[in-house]
Amino acid sequence: MALLEVRDLCVTIGSLQPLDRVTFSVDKGSILGLVGESGSGKSLTAMALMGLLPLLGGRVSQGSVRFDGTELVGLDSERYRALRGRRIALITQNPMTSLDPIQRVGAQIDQVGILHRGLTAADARARSIELLTQLRIPDAATVHGQYPHQMSGGMKQRVVIAMALAGDPELIIADEPTTALDVTIQAQIIQILVDLVRQRGLALLLITHDMSVVAQACDQVLVLYAGRIAESNTVEAIFAQALHPYTQALIACIPRSGQASGSLRGITGIVPSVASYAGGCRYHPRCSLAQARCQTEVPATQVHNTHRIACHVATAGAAHG
Amino acid sequence: MADAPVSTNSNPPPLVQTRGLTRVFQSRAGLFAKQRRLAAVSDVDLDIPRGRVTGVVGESGCGKSTLARLVLRLLDASSGSVHFDGTDLASLRPAGLRALRRRMQMVFQDPYSSIDPRYSVHDAVLEPLRVQGLALDEAANRAKVESLMAMVGLNPVLANTYPHQLSGGQKQRVGIARALALQPDFLVLDEPTASLDVSIQAQIIALLEQLQADLGLTYLFISHDLGLVRYFCHRIVVMYLGRVVEILPDPTATPRHPYTQALMQSTFEPDPRRRRTVTLLHGEIADAFNLPAGCAYAARCPGATQRCRSERPKLIHPDGIEQGHSLACHHPLGS
Repeated sequence: MALLEVRDLCVTIGSLQPLDRVTFSVDKGSILGLVGESGSGKSLTAMALMGLLPLLGGRVSQGSVRFDGTELVGLDSERYRALRGRRIALITQNPMTSLDPIQRVGAQIDQVGILHRGLTAADARARSIELLTQLRIPDAATVHGQYPHQMSGGMKQRVVIAMALAGDPELIIADEPTTALDVTIQAQIIQILVDLVRQRGLALLLITHDMSVVAQACDQVLVLYAGRIAESNTVEAIFAQALHPYTQALIACIPRSGQASGSLRGITGIVPSVASYAGGCRYHPRCSLAQARCQTEVPATQVHNTHRIACHVATAGAAHG
Repeated sequence: MADAPVSTNSNPPPLVQTRGLTRVFQSRAGLFAKQRRLAAVSDVDLDIPRGRVTGVVGESGCGKSTLARLVLRLLDASSGSVHFDGTDLASLRPAGLRALRRRMQMVFQDPYSSIDPRYSVHDAVLEPLRVQGLALDEAANRAKVESLMAMVGLNPVLANTYPHQLSGGQKQRVGIARALALQPDFLVLDEPTASLDVSIQAQIIALLEQLQADLGLTYLFISHDLGLVRYFCHRIVVMYLGRVVEILPDPTATPRHPYTQALMQSTFEPDPRRRRTVTLLHGEIADAFNLPAGCAYAARCPGATQRCRSERPKLIHPDGIEQGHSLACHHPLGS
């Protein structure tokens, strides 16, 4: 059974509905990539799962989020707080949004163990140093006593991962965890996350805009466009035979090694803001294959085995024969 | 890949040539801090061939943006020289430098950090012509702006809009139109797509490719993204902590420097059948204020020896490898 099961999740903020019927699930020991351009609703999905929508003045207006059998939509804030940081952890893009600049990083990691797992201060410290060592931080005991400003970006992101792991979570939501980092450091952090999933049986929801990160790390892929699912499938199937024109275009944005010059295209136009979504299929103004009905009729989601797709032009299972 | 311009005589001289180019920054001494010295760019010899795209790739702090500014003399070198089409930039007085700047322009990562936010697109595109005293009457200016906007794929109706009304991709197109306003030969592109979405990045790269081919421009393309550099560039210069560690004569050449190989393994392919094997490292990028006596990469390099830690390798062309391929390593890969 899936550890996290999201069904028809809709989010409203005021009179706007930035997320519309998003459905997916994440199994233990597997990685789901949530992918799309800026403004597609990826981070909003993370906020909804963490129960943090009230911070944005938003709420779940419809749908369900089940975590290990428990319905999270409508859960009271006290019970949500017991889950957050303990069983579900969040890693954000900018480590400084998670770190207190005037507290030693070690104390910040220790706190998670003390609060969520009832460890003594000495046990929490030993556990924090062990986690930092596992994340390949040299001389973890020294780092434990340092302040965030004494560290590089890659080191700070490892500290944030250690904080996420200190509660011994079952699900990690990582929102663009490597976007601000150098490429060699990005590769290291992604590898650390993949190893954690494989070794500890964690479930990971990896939010990214980069299809090459998805190809490297993920088992399943969900492509969001303007708050709706465009397509989802296993990573192999998505890259071997993406059917949604948006998925195809996103993959084509990353140059492959050996790709001939002059063949990179990009996607014309930009993601619309939530106040100006097009009628019908929201991707149609940018889609090279759009037909008349794409402008007026919202495409229904078709399901075929692992494949979900919402497109009038492509059909689920079409390439499966 | 575009073919090299055919030339009946031997290779034409490079458009830009740097020799021993070095830039040192000094931190101010304070009450508690000693003055510290940082060589952002050290001893760089670089030839930038005409009509080609030369890529400079490296991670933060490798000196690639400082190199970009030195090449245009937006920064003065501490030592060494830059020659543009045979002219030593350091020898020019301000008027001569300004005249030469018509031929060399820069595209920035965030174009609007250098454009007055009260300027409309029209004003922003026209500014270089005004600075150079080349602006004409109103009708001619408008025609000029329209043709530049068309060149970069901007709808001319946007001429009277302001930067806050534009998307990131449109702003970068304005930045490119400004750079092209003076009909330069040489463009330095400093991470022009680093803050854009991948979909917009691909559009901008496609535009830059087309302009390069149509106008026969020479580019120096600065990036942290080796995948993009291998797609876009004819020649690749790899920098690490202020020094050139490898020059690949073409984007398909096999890296011989362990750092270039690490960059390659960290650059993921959009294909799950070609996943990279990432080796977890203990080391971090060395402190640029406190560079070791030997190879700066030795602390992270799996093949480093005692010699690497004590003796700095020079950038040379080793025997038995492709023409134009140079590297600075005591123990090149595959030899």
